[in-house]
Amino acid sequence: MKNLILIFVFVLYGSAASAQDKGNVLIKNGTVLTITKGTLPETDVLVKDGKIAQIAKNIAAPQGVRVIDAKGLFVMPGIIDAHSHIALDAINEATSPVTAEVAESDAINPMQINIYRALGGGVTTIHALHGSANAIGGQCQILKLRYGTLDPDALKMEGAPRTIKFALGENPTRVHGGGNNIVPRTRMGVEFVIRKSFSDAKKYAQEWEAYNKNKLVKGFRGAPPVYNLRLETLAEILKGNITIHCHSYRADEIFMLLRVCKDFGIKKIVFQHVNEGFKVAPELAAYGAMASVFSDWWAYKFEVYYSTAYNAAILTRNGVVTSINSDDAEMMRHLYLEAGKTQKYGSLTDEEALALITINPAKQLGVESRIGSLEVGKDADIAIFKNHPLSIYGVPQYTIVDGTVRFDRANDPADMRLMVDPKQNFDEATFFDKGVDHCLDGTEFLFTNDKN
Amino acid sequence: MNRLFTNQWARIVFILLIGLCTFNLLWAQDETTIAPVGKSYALTNVTIIPSPGKKIEKGTVVMKDGLITAVGTSVTIPADAIIIKADSMYVYAGFIDGLSRTGVTKPKEEPATQRPKDPGNPPAEQAGITPQSDVRSELNSAEKSITELRNTGFTVSQVVPYGNFLPGSAAIILLGGKSPDGMVLINQSGLYSELTGARFVYPNTVMAVMAKWRELYKNASLTKSFQTSYASNRNGISRPGSDRVLEAFYPVIDQKIPVVFKAEKILDAQRVLTLRKDLGFSLVMADVKEGSPLINKIKSSGTKVFLSLDLPDEVKKDDKKTEKKEAAKTFAENEKEKLEKRKNEAIAQATAQASDFNKAGMVFGFSVLNAKTKDIQANLRRMIAAGLPEDVALAALTTNAAKLLSLDDRLGTIENGKIANLVVSDKPYFSEKAKVQYVFVDGNMYKMDTKAPAKPDGKTVAKGTWNYTTERSGGKIVIKDDNGSLSGTITSTIREGETELKDVSLDGSSLSFSYEFAMGGNTGKVEVVVKIDGDTFEGTMSVGKFGSFPIKGTRDPKSK
Repeated sequence: MKNLILIFVFVLYGSAASAQDKGNVLIKNGTVLTITKGTLPETDVLVKDGKIAQIAKNIAAPQGVRVIDAKGLFVMPGIIDAHSHIALDAINEATSPVTAEVAESDAINPMQINIYRALGGGVTTIHALHGSANAIGGQCQILKLRYGTLDPDALKMEGAPRTIKFALGENPTRVHGGGNNIVPRTRMGVEFVIRKSFSDAKKYAQEWEAYNKNKLVKGFRGAPPVYNLRLETLAEILKGNITIHCHSYRADEIFMLLRVCKDFGIKKIVFQHVNEGFKVAPELAAYGAMASVFSDWWAYKFEVYYSTAYNAAILTRNGVVTSINSDDAEMMRHLYLEAGKTQKYGSLTDEEALALITINPAKQLGVESRIGSLEVGKDADIAIFKNHPLSIYGVPQYTIVDGTVRFDRANDPADMRLMVDPKQNFDEATFFDKGVDHCLDGTEFLFTNDKN
Repeated sequence: MNRLFTNQWARIVFILLIGLCTFNLLWAQDETTIAPVGKSYALTNVTIIPSPGKKIEKGTVVMKDGLITAVGTSVTIPADAIIIKADSMYVYAGFIDGLSRTGVTKPKEEPATQRPKDPGNPPAEQAGITPQSDVRSELNSAEKSITELRNTGFTVSQVVPYGNFLPGSAAIILLGGKSPDGMVLINQSGLYSELTGARFVYPNTVMAVMAKWRELYKNASLTKSFQTSYASNRNGISRPGSDRVLEAFYPVIDQKIPVVFKAEKILDAQRVLTLRKDLGFSLVMADVKEGSPLINKIKSSGTKVFLSLDLPDEVKKDDKKTEKKEAAKTFAENEKEKLEKRKNEAIAQATAQASDFNKAGMVFGFSVLNAKTKDIQANLRRMIAAGLPEDVALAALTTNAAKLLSLDDRLGTIENGKIANLVVSDKPYFSEKAKVQYVFVDGNMYKMDTKAPAKPDGKTVAKGTWNYTTERSGGKIVIKDDNGSLSGTITSTIREGETELKDVSLDGSSLSFSYEFAMGGNTGKVEVVVKIDGDTFEGTMSVGKFGSFPIKGTRDPKSK
């Protein structure tokens, strides 16, 4: 027993230490779907220190480097999910319509088994989002799925740009207007909340600017303005340092937010869900706004009835940078099939369809220079499939993050839990978490009469 | 909806657990205070452990006016000293607890309030932001928790107010005294905080708690430096306002006191370390339960650590269980087995935590915040069995704890001039059957009454009205005893009406019964086996294919 424990402890420590390991690997003779540089048959990909070092035929294996025989297999960039709520301990700070100051980087849970399951679906990077309870929710975090570490910081994609969640329509009006009888109760109210927040932030930034300027004057001893992390964060949006990712469905509200952004000089905006995006595709393209959509999921509430499976294709053809996301721990395991649906509904090419789950979400997250395609110098985030990933027969075989194999179908242990609560009950492990979407987690109490 | 239910029941179970902790312990050794005549005592013919690793056989310890005045084999006993013949006994420096709420009166559970009008802007109190609170105003020298903890050998606790996010400042108290102020050794020993959010209002999640922490700290720094600047020359500047919340952070910013954070789980601990890294305050992490994988991180941050004396229960081997062949097991049985195996590993890891810290050369103390006092001695023995040297365990309870709390000039060893805090046990403290005989706090003697615990006829009684809770429900069980023939009924919060119990039987302290239920078109049989311990029970209820669940209960003592 003691030995067993020692091994277990060693595994824990070992994996914690190796979390940010940059691996070396040579992938031989695969069909390489680079996304940005075409499809290369019978080609090798060499990974050194977590980066793609070479893509060519007949690369000799450096000594000691693991070789993966990918003959007959398809090698693609690791899948990027632009909208996920896994690996988080808190999703909604639903107590206020504006909570720009809160950040998912404080709530990362690297031990969720969903991370490993996502790896099993070829996913290597996720955008871990705040929920959609608030008009202006919290800041989000781009995570690399380096499953095996107990250190939340080890999942963070180093140097990734800052993003923040906004939400329009029924969720914020239901939670705050319906739940608490405060603004916003209507779509007008949502617009007002956002405009007022930006105006306040502008004024706040001006106050600090004036104070900092005065401080340089000799003899100035005035009081500093009250530090407000919420306004501080909002001011960063106005400065262009944080990209807005906005939960939205209806064309009118999407257009509304475009106008608001224009009024405040905000350029970086990505719309999430965007079920009616097809109605305003030219407007989105003209603004440079991007769209992250479901392949074919709708009608789960009133504002989501007017939808079409052609949405992604229409947006793409109109020049909008479009991605397909999951918003769901189960769906994220087959995002390649979700992307494939755009070939049935919209006849996108293989490259266009795969771009929806690779280079396009990378662009939306501002990390396209690092991930999203197989190019020399990029991070070695790679998914290897048996059969073409867009085929219904596609099955992920290996998922590699920073050159480290994090999922290997041939060596897939039954129990990948990193930590178990010694007081956990069995039924909790099997009967809970049925794969519902977590967009409104933490807000349930607002919809019941329960006062406990 | 699932999440709603889990939260709700988790809360109920939690409240119940809190309730359990305050129950009088059956085996509890009642002590009697003996008024000191000349306030002088001499322990004679005793084995003295003056500090970990040292030993004086057949020695004498003299105390006078609350201080240790003589230690050794050839000391003169003052004429006015009360002599306590401690032949074959062992005396140690009194133990020190790094974090608990010993002696702190629990505020009454607020009745379910109306949903707040604007949950985003609650009053500071509702938000849990009361760092200005002074734990002294919540201390009560008559609290039972003081006696209970002292009976295990503890003489000093760092105590904190009830509350979640920023409940107030900590104080280090002696576990004995006539008044709150009389107990206090050091007031404002730290600013206490937890990463627990407020119910229904901002800050509710860990994200908001951490954001608010940063904002408060930054504002405190700003107002503090402005106040300093104003104090240097008040002429011509609008006066700074007063803000008691921000002012509570000033001693932290000045590095005069640390922030004492509860950091049970591995993620709590890492988030707390993140806050420390961002803001730079000096940090004490207490009640740490999953610290082993973080030792290097903790060490390099210079954080002081108190490890929890609470351990998950050991799993008892079920001998009756017949081993099925692998193939014959259902999916659920296999899964359950795997989980049990992992749970055992987790229990072993928790038990080895202190040993891991020691091996890494980390100095640590212990905290009893969530530990049941009756388990403390056994838990220490489990840690020792898992590789913690006895001397290190003793150091964690005495010298190291004193150092971590900057009390080593006054406490932690048996030396001349130190505060007379001692614990005397009949056998070496860490041995299986050791019982504490005397505890001295501040030179006052507390003698344990170590007579066998009083149980009527020495037999367990099942009769009575029991309030029980499970993870998802609760209710009442009434057990009747008709000349040894047991019967009863059960009610449940998730069913209407009373259900008759079947096969009620008591075997030693083990009570078992079953009953039928019908719910939503399903019928089934529930089998319950619980172990009665005084007026509480703990056990499992098995609901056929749905698995088994823990069940806990407490008896209305009047119904016995």
